[in-house]
Amino acid sequence: MSAILFYLATLIVYGAVDSMACLALNVQFGFAGLSNFGFIIFQAGGAYVAAILSMGNWHKSNGGFQQYVLGWHLVWPLPWIGAALFGGLLAIPFTLLVGKRLRGDFAAVGLLVSAVLLNQLVNNFVPLFNGAAGISIVPAPFQGKWDPQGLGYQFAYGGVAVVLCVLVYFLLRRVTESPYGRSLRAMRDNDVVADALGKNVQVQRTSMLILGGMIAGLSGAILVGFINLWSPGAWGYAETIVLFAAIIVGGAGNHKGAVLGALLVPLGFEEATRFIPPLSNPALVPALEWVAIGLLIILFLWFRPDGILPERRRILSGSKSVPVTTPPGVESDSLINLGNLDQMDFRQLLRIEGDTNDHGTILSCTNLTRAFHGVTVVSDVSIEVQRGRLTGLIGPNGAGKSTTLAMLAGTLAPTSGTIHYEGRDITSMPSNERAKSGMVRTFQLASEFKKLTVLENLVSAIPRQSGDSLPGALRGRRFWGREDGENIERAKEMLEGFGLSQYADNYAGGLSGGQRRLVEIMRALLAEPKVLLLDEPMAGVHPNLAHKIGDQLMALVKSGMTILMVEHELSIMDAFCDPVIVLAEGRVLAQGTMSELRAMKEVVEAYLVG
Amino acid sequence: MSVFLSSLGFGLISAAVLAIATVGFTLQFAVTNVLNLAYGSVMINSAFVTYYLNVHAHLNAWVAMVGGIATGAVASYLLNRFVFTPFQRRNLLPITIVIVALGVDLCGTFGLQAIVGGSYFSYRQSLGRELHFWGMYFSTLQLTIIGICLVVMGLIHWLLKHTRLGKAMRATSANPSLARNSGVRTGHVISMTWLISGALCGLAGTVFAMNTGVFEATSAQLYIVLMLAAMFLGGPGEAYGAMLGALTIGVATELSAGFFNPQYKEVIAFVVLLAMLTFRPYGLFGSEKTI
Repeated sequence: MSAILFYLATLIVYGAVDSMACLALNVQFGFAGLSNFGFIIFQAGGAYVAAILSMGNWHKSNGGFQQYVLGWHLVWPLPWIGAALFGGLLAIPFTLLVGKRLRGDFAAVGLLVSAVLLNQLVNNFVPLFNGAAGISIVPAPFQGKWDPQGLGYQFAYGGVAVVLCVLVYFLLRRVTESPYGRSLRAMRDNDVVADALGKNVQVQRTSMLILGGMIAGLSGAILVGFINLWSPGAWGYAETIVLFAAIIVGGAGNHKGAVLGALLVPLGFEEATRFIPPLSNPALVPALEWVAIGLLIILFLWFRPDGILPERRRILSGSKSVPVTTPPGVESDSLINLGNLDQMDFRQLLRIEGDTNDHGTILSCTNLTRAFHGVTVVSDVSIEVQRGRLTGLIGPNGAGKSTTLAMLAGTLAPTSGTIHYEGRDITSMPSNERAKSGMVRTFQLASEFKKLTVLENLVSAIPRQSGDSLPGALRGRRFWGREDGENIERAKEMLEGFGLSQYADNYAGGLSGGQRRLVEIMRALLAEPKVLLLDEPMAGVHPNLAHKIGDQLMALVKSGMTILMVEHELSIMDAFCDPVIVLAEGRVLAQGTMSELRAMKEVVEAYLVG
Repeated sequence: MSVFLSSLGFGLISAAVLAIATVGFTLQFAVTNVLNLAYGSVMINSAFVTYYLNVHAHLNAWVAMVGGIATGAVASYLLNRFVFTPFQRRNLLPITIVIVALGVDLCGTFGLQAIVGGSYFSYRQSLGRELHFWGMYFSTLQLTIIGICLVVMGLIHWLLKHTRLGKAMRATSANPSLARNSGVRTGHVISMTWLISGALCGLAGTVFAMNTGVFEATSAQLYIVLMLAAMFLGGPGEAYGAMLGALTIGVATELSAGFFNPQYKEVIAFVVLLAMLTFRPYGLFGSEKTI
């Protein structure tokens, strides 16, 4: 009987440790889109640090049969705190890998390789953590006062582990169910776009790597205090794959899914195979275990990619409406009916300030040039954009329109040339800061955050949200809830204006092409731009709708906004843009009203006819 | 000096094996955009097929090698046909494909281990006469491996520069949709790429096992790190870069083993890989666009 109870206590501790690890990895992978293939490093680091902080100096303890650094003999809970801090510190060098705009799979490979490298180093360099043999006889907390082998102690230990796991659960939920969590998921869905809307993705990724590292470190400390030994064999790089399998099975982007996955995969597998009788080939069972993990990953990603408990759709609109589905065969763009846009007060809704009669230069670039490995796409482009006007940018395919716009917005760095905005040189300002100072762009290709609802897409763009930072999120709903409610109301008003209210709680990824265009425009507007840079906003939009959007852009300009718009459709340019700049082969060919341009022979030859 | 030369000799052999492996790996990445982390498991499975044919079925070593090459080619083709292509059709993030590849790697490596067991295997044939040049010692086997490598690199060069298929592969790598619109049958090109790179993978596994002499089911698990280092050094997707990268990494690891500590021999490859990923992910000579 007591053997079963001891076993139960062990299960509880393992379950809590695995759950903590999966919760932390899920926040990184499922919420922030960070594929941390080196996750096990952080757990291992925490375990080692907790061990050596709680053990005495190696020369003096146990006859010096194992060597390691530190050996401070600290009392609980100091080793555990040290482990968590170390897990966070350990994350800092890796921010170099994930902070930059490196392809997600390349960064993941970098982390995977780091895990292999560190394991080998620890394995071979004995003075650090006693090499391949590992550290053993790690004291259990309070081991002088209580007997760690006693049943009461073991259950108490399990209780502490579970309590900590529950605390981690609520802490992480607080982070993810906040405006900050919304920004994390936006970054996961499309980091370039999140950046262009003013999210500092580098800081977001760094924060999540550190937060996850701390939790992983703590989980390692809990484990080592219980099993009392730790060696490189316990943390091969493949252990991270097991945790990934757990999250894929449980459900990425869902905290309960992470816990479920932890209980099913690392714990379930480990325990189920314990009861298989020994076979003639001792490698068979562990080998088949790995095969099963591999198959689990592949089969789940194919048949149930969202896991057993998929990510929850967040209903912000307050109504209990079911998502709208367009009947098959209906051209849903033709159903779009811009709502009561005419009654909307853009100045108030979008916080537009300043004099509507001021038409001075707000944005300009001088000799802007961009080359892609030897081929110059934009050369010596100098343009000025005036406040309160709708400036058009036209030109044939490959003229460099989108590249110019991307450089103005900071998505692309110019090879040479300067950009000035409101009198300041912003050539080297990162795009998220440009967005914060009022320069917001849209993208030529669909750029909605697919697994955010329409309303979430809109709200995520609103600047200066007090809950949109890690400290703000940690202060809880009482701190940011009221303001978030107001923001949601603003976004709903916008949605109503554009006649898309019924789609508020739909995932943006499921909308039609035209609807997604509208979502993108609304989202850009809610970022409160002073200058709005639109990259072919009418592409793929029904012509009737395009003209309605054009009317609204004119209304915006009249209320004081500045717009620079790249567009192919000349009828749009004719109707709305003044002035129009013509680019051809990377250079400014001409500038003027459309009727002036039509009179210019070279413009007609370069573009209007050809 | 003699340490330098003998390490250099070892380095050239390592580089020869690594070059065969990396060129196949980088071709897969270039043409299909799959970072196939299951490559090592296909290598070791092919190596075991060659071993079985040679040692148990008593076939001539060259014939057995053809068996290994065929295993690599067929396994890679099937992997693409039944795993990677179906997943890619779903327009998933590249990272999902990498996770799938890791799953495949676990299945391939440990499935093999479940069959052959956890023990070591060794070739019992002699290494042949020992030869030495300028202070470097080579066995006949090692010289054969270097010879195979040179022939294979020559063939790859000929394929890429002088055949229709090679040109189509380069076009598909540079811009798949443009290639398709210009009349390249990209589906066919991709299948051929998996067959050719799979054959290289099978060959690499075979010579890898012959070169180390003693091997087990999980022996190639970390070999992927050396390949990644070589690939990123030369620029991902660049076949010639991979050759140069393999030469550099192969020689550098053996030199560091000769002069420092053989236990840390691979560390240099890790460091190179991490440095390249962090600072120049498009390779020493590559351009930003390849990313």
